[in-house]
Amino acid sequence: MLSRSAQSMYWMGRYLERTEFLCRLIRLQMEALLDRPPRDIHAGWRRLYATLGRTPPGGGLGPVQGEDFTLADSFTLAGDLTFERQNLDSIWNCFANCRENARQMRHHISTEMWRTLNLAYLRIRTLEIQDIWATAPEDFYAGMVAEIGNFAGAAETTMYRDEGWRFLQLGRCIERAQLVSSLLVQQLAMDSEAGEFAELDWTSLLRAYQAAEVYHRSYGIAVHPAPVLDLMVADPLLPGSLSRCFNIIGEHLAALGTGPGQASGAEAQRVASALTHLPESRWPDEVTGRSGLLARAAAQCRELHFLVNGAYFDY
Amino acid sequence: MDFNDYACDPTIYDEMFQSDGIPWEHSRELHDTLLHMPAASLASTQEEVSRSFLQEGISFMVYGDDEAEERIIPVDCIPRILTGAEWRVLEAGLSQRLRALNHFLNDVYNQARIIRDGVVPEDMVKGCPQYRLEMEGYTPPQGAWVAICGTDLVRTHDGYFVLEDNLRVPSGVSYMIATRRAAKAGFRRLYRSSRVREVEHYGQLLLTVLRELAPEGVPEPAIALLTPGIYNAAFYEHVFLAQELGAELVEGRDLLTQDGFVYMRTTEGLRRVDIIYRRVDDVFLDPLVFHPDSVLGVPGLLDVCQRGNVTLVNTPGSGVADDKSIYAFVPDIVRYYLGEEPVLSNVETYLCRRPQDLEYTLDNLDKLVVKRVGESGGYGMLMGPHATPSEREEYAKQMRADPSDFISQPVLPFSRSPCLVGEGMEPRHVDLRPFVLQGREPRITPGAFCRVALRRGGLVVNSSQGGGCKDIWVLED
Repeated sequence: MLSRSAQSMYWMGRYLERTEFLCRLIRLQMEALLDRPPRDIHAGWRRLYATLGRTPPGGGLGPVQGEDFTLADSFTLAGDLTFERQNLDSIWNCFANCRENARQMRHHISTEMWRTLNLAYLRIRTLEIQDIWATAPEDFYAGMVAEIGNFAGAAETTMYRDEGWRFLQLGRCIERAQLVSSLLVQQLAMDSEAGEFAELDWTSLLRAYQAAEVYHRSYGIAVHPAPVLDLMVADPLLPGSLSRCFNIIGEHLAALGTGPGQASGAEAQRVASALTHLPESRWPDEVTGRSGLLARAAAQCRELHFLVNGAYFDY
Repeated sequence: MDFNDYACDPTIYDEMFQSDGIPWEHSRELHDTLLHMPAASLASTQEEVSRSFLQEGISFMVYGDDEAEERIIPVDCIPRILTGAEWRVLEAGLSQRLRALNHFLNDVYNQARIIRDGVVPEDMVKGCPQYRLEMEGYTPPQGAWVAICGTDLVRTHDGYFVLEDNLRVPSGVSYMIATRRAAKAGFRRLYRSSRVREVEHYGQLLLTVLRELAPEGVPEPAIALLTPGIYNAAFYEHVFLAQELGAELVEGRDLLTQDGFVYMRTTEGLRRVDIIYRRVDDVFLDPLVFHPDSVLGVPGLLDVCQRGNVTLVNTPGSGVADDKSIYAFVPDIVRYYLGEEPVLSNVETYLCRRPQDLEYTLDNLDKLVVKRVGESGGYGMLMGPHATPSEREEYAKQMRADPSDFISQPVLPFSRSPCLVGEGMEPRHVDLRPFVLQGREPRITPGAFCRVALRRGGLVVNSSQGGGCKDIWVLED
């Protein structure tokens, strides 16, 4: 496959995943606006911005404020992360970039995939935050997640399993692993700063990844960080878990071989293999030991990105 | 939907109606279908056709002062119908014309007999900005300098006329196929009963032709389509064709030359490319030979082409044969190489480089259309009858300063076809661009990209100038 095409497929996957991640977390924020106290809403925004490594508009979030301020602030922050054209990490930009990569790769993806993506793009192309704010903003984010699900379904059932497929999946999984590990690191840091864990914050993480029901079935009603981490990191049966991402990354890299940039390719395989074994052999029992390990995993995902680039795209 | 307010003009050929307002025999079924269709139903067909273009992302790029905008080409749902007999004449004429032009190109870059024999003036060929000195002595596989041609034609009461032979990087074939898919879905029953000839196989024909042009000794050639990139107006078409051909869509930065061959960078290392269907203009193809600042091309590409290790389609330098001045000589070119009378007519053309033609043009500026020799896409053109006196005066100044840069032609009252405008039926001017392929032999898909001048009374059909498109149905006999 042409290297540039492979790179576009990879980026399509990354942008798509980032869009989905943002939609899932902002949807939680919108739902929190219905009934949660300002402290929880504030914590949610803080966690999200810290995960993205991005400064909120106005230079920072400041301390927790009253109801009206929290509502007004949420409008600004949701606007920044959803429709702000100047914010390269906004949902709008991530999705437009995803669609732009798909537009260039129409000859490598199925018609169904293109149509699903293009229709969703046409729907959001001209929207602004005020267009979704008046009614139920959470519906917009839920709709986006559903549309991304349609795309993934169309890909699953219609796309030829060639290298393009592998690079698309590689992009999605590297992005997801990086974001989820950073998100968990941020949550642990916030707990450590507060000197206690916030059960509702951990519950929201489970809900964001459709893991709440599985959690309750396996671990009971009470939500504690250790089992949440066990599930979201080490359970290969959970679709969004890190363990599953690492397995998929390892599988696709093994199938692709080391590529023309052999040194990078070999190193990518080594890093992927180390990540695959992380939840099995090096996963500590206690919560405190897990934070450092997750931070290292996030760093290794970033490294993996550059290694993939050097192995197949820019050798 | 009635045609009560449809204004036929007896001086202008109408694709649906005869001068007495009775539909042509071949358009009767379409006319009756439209007549019995409630206005709301036709409007919904139109909406469906437009929506399908939007959903499929059948777009082209338009450049404003600051940024590029992705636009959907306006499409009219009502097809234009050609009979099988009409098509046979067009087919014969187009194939004749392309054969002659390929002979011409082979000749001017090699023996130049036509110049020696005084049929075409040497300075007009060698002074043409599209003439590529670097291609002298070259002969492409099968002698097919031009393998893909999109000839612009119009129809009047006097028959068909060729407006332009687009021999460099003609575009629009993807719209031909897209409008067909949309119109077919919009008029299902009519389409089936009308026995329309298919156009869907264009991609297969193109692939066959490209494979026939493989460098010698390469039985399984690797084909790539070279695009200037996503900002090019026709990028949608480039992706579409790459998909149809099963070829890689490459940009200049994906290719490199090494040891006399062209390679593309793939995830498995360098892979040889044997045929490049290039949609990049000549001057950007190879910075070592043409435009030194070009980032769209590949250094050393022309050298590999001249060694015969890669075939570039169309061959660089082909533009000399579709130059607006050379156009005037095409009937003579046909006679010279083929010993036949041209099947298709040219529009009478005045070359302003000739003093008497310049004088005539300046005296009749309000009746003529004046074109710059080096421009295309409807840019830099003066539509005399529609221009203001000051626009004409300004243009005249430019013509006097550099007469050889201009040609002029009478404004043809070219045909109109019914279009759905708002809630009613109105006539709009239409042209057609069939696509002619030449490998071992000419091959023509029975259909065309039909451009529509959407503005009432407007004559400019280019999509960059607000034109739209519609489907053309060529009927079986």
